[in-house]
Amino acid sequence: MASVTLEHVKKIYDGGVVAVQDFNLEIRDKEFVVFVGPSGCGKSTTLRMVAGLEDISEGTLKIGDRVVNDVEPKDRDIAMVFQNYALYPHLSVYENMAFSLRLRHMDNEEIFRRVTQAAEILGITQYLGRKPKNLSGGQRQRVAIGRAIVREPQVFLMDEPLSNLDAKLRNQMRAEIILLRKRLDTTFIYVTHDQTEAMTLGDRIVIMKDGFIQQVGTPQEVFDTPKNLFVAGFIGSPQMNFLKARLVRSGNEYSVEVLGLKVALESEKCQKLAEKNVQTMDITLGVRPEHTTVRFSEDANTIKGTIAVNEMMGSELHLHVETADEGRVILRIPTIDLTPEQRAGLAGGNALHFTFASKVMHLFDPETEESLLF
Amino acid sequence: MAKKNHIPEVDIVVDEKAGVIREVQPETRLRSKKGHERRVNTTIYVILILMSIVWLCPFVFLVLQSFRGESGGQVAYVIPKQWTLDNYRFLFEGVAFSLKALVKDLPAIILTVITNAAGIAGMVAFLRRKPKNPFEEKSGNLKNALLVFGVLLVINVMRCVDSTNCDFVRWFMNTLTIALFCAVIQTIMVLSVSYTLSRMRFKGRKLIMNVVLVLGMFPGFLTMIVLYYLLKMMGLTQAGAVPGLILISCASSGMSYYISKGFFDTIPKSLDESARIDGATRFHVFLKIIMPMAKPIVIYTILMAFMGPWGDYVFASYVAFGHKASYNVAVGLYRWVNTNDYQGYFTRFCAGGVLVAIPITALFMALQKYYVEGVTGGAVKG
Repeated sequence: MASVTLEHVKKIYDGGVVAVQDFNLEIRDKEFVVFVGPSGCGKSTTLRMVAGLEDISEGTLKIGDRVVNDVEPKDRDIAMVFQNYALYPHLSVYENMAFSLRLRHMDNEEIFRRVTQAAEILGITQYLGRKPKNLSGGQRQRVAIGRAIVREPQVFLMDEPLSNLDAKLRNQMRAEIILLRKRLDTTFIYVTHDQTEAMTLGDRIVIMKDGFIQQVGTPQEVFDTPKNLFVAGFIGSPQMNFLKARLVRSGNEYSVEVLGLKVALESEKCQKLAEKNVQTMDITLGVRPEHTTVRFSEDANTIKGTIAVNEMMGSELHLHVETADEGRVILRIPTIDLTPEQRAGLAGGNALHFTFASKVMHLFDPETEESLLF
Repeated sequence: MAKKNHIPEVDIVVDEKAGVIREVQPETRLRSKKGHERRVNTTIYVILILMSIVWLCPFVFLVLQSFRGESGGQVAYVIPKQWTLDNYRFLFEGVAFSLKALVKDLPAIILTVITNAAGIAGMVAFLRRKPKNPFEEKSGNLKNALLVFGVLLVINVMRCVDSTNCDFVRWFMNTLTIALFCAVIQTIMVLSVSYTLSRMRFKGRKLIMNVVLVLGMFPGFLTMIVLYYLLKMMGLTQAGAVPGLILISCASSGMSYYISKGFFDTIPKSLDESARIDGATRFHVFLKIIMPMAKPIVIYTILMAFMGPWGDYVFASYVAFGHKASYNVAVGLYRWVNTNDYQGYFTRFCAGGVLVAIPITALFMALQKYYVEGVTGGAVKG
């Protein structure tokens, strides 16, 4: 149990490639932090620097109050779960889990106690005598986690632990990790490229791209107030719609013109924009698919489009709608509110009207890609 | 099951339930395919049998000649007219076996006590070893104990053999000593170098690998004269040829890292990383994680290291030149037929050849499985 502090941490590889740029983050004790981003964004590298598997080129890394830049991985009191499990194939499940304890010359009874306890938590007691090759993917993942648990480490590192599992198992393991976290109550750093995992698991999410931190915040924060276009597009599924629009200022009142629709912004947003002294300008407007509403009659507040693709997801419909300016907008419509006639009317090729409220709008500067509201 | 209508002319089946027409392989064609396979196999086997006859001829010849009773060098027939074991008997003439060698003086006593105590302790440890955890089956202990016993026996027997008056046994012992030492030292060197080059990243790593690769392309004989003088300076020629030859074989052994490095490269790096986070040092990782997984390549390396000096002629002949007691088998046997008396020694030479081939053949057959695995495993990634 310890905090982890990264100050101006930088990773430059031998070839001069900069993998991580000026990484500043304080991970509090017992916090669950998720690093998320597309592949090659430096999230794994950062984790490996915390683990001690990669050298830190610049900056300082502290675990607790101790600077551990030059401390061997074995002396950092961390445990790590790898994407490919990295189980020792020649050892049984029991010995896999006992490996680290044996290296510390723990006595056999204590090893037995810890291993059986961890196995019980993870439900792998009946496999303790088996070799890893006789286990399924999910069971191997449990062993890998068990191997980390028995250590009772200060910091728990997980490098995409679920990405080798199939979708169903992944959901199940995700729930188990949440339970496990409650039970262990220690500091977790979790790396994933899957935004769903990030949202469901993390106390705080660190969104990274090209070695830079894009935004740090709770899942709710990064969902509600994305700091820039990248975060807005990365968090949420399906992806947020981006539309060309114009922000018009009149006094301290602002409105947005998009696809022939003029929407006045609510006072809270106006206040923020006025504070930043934003003038009339072209903007990129972001609207989440789930924040759109279909209207079955045309009026002044609706946008007209043609349904290009209709994806039936069961509880909801994903409609890809082509609009007048040739952009595509995705709408996410819950099916429960629709009558059968309405549902039939939403077939591909049909015309459709939709709208969205001003409070769900995200405004971005098209030049800097930063949010105007942040 | 759907009802099927066979229409023999076109070899299709109408599957009415599924509503499709399926094509089937006509039986006649199947039969001819089988026949074709058989013909191909027959051809291949005939070729292989012919090749193996060509291969085996010299060995059969050697074995048969070693039992020949009539004297003379090479003869125009293969099957001996008179069978005898005299040739073998001659090889062991004058050899003495005395247990006294184990306790003849203080150093000998100390050595005897140490080796036997260590061996027995090892055997007892293996036999008494309890499973490390309640979920593991106890297995392999007896095999390991027997292995230790075998090694102990070989060491003791080797020390008891007094070969002062028996050239062949002396040469055989020389060869065995060189080969055993080389097998141990070379294996350790090769595996450590390979692991280092596979896992560690340091300045000049690529350069070392390339230089070694290029150096390896030069034939070893180029350095012969230099090596001879170097060894001579250290007093490791003629009378000291046995340690000298061990030194020569082991000195450059790290250069043959290539195959085992290739094998180590195929072991995921995350295993090393995982073990290091678990608290292992690099040495622990090497010993406890990599070695057990690399069994085939370890055995392959041991085998190679053993075989090199076992069949060595060129180096052995000039390092030990003129000093009969330091010859290895190959040199000694050759000297017999070459300088002693070709007519009289040829059949004895053959008998010696058979005895030399036996241990290496046995070793190979016992470890063949690993050998193939080691070579192909290392070949996956070069």
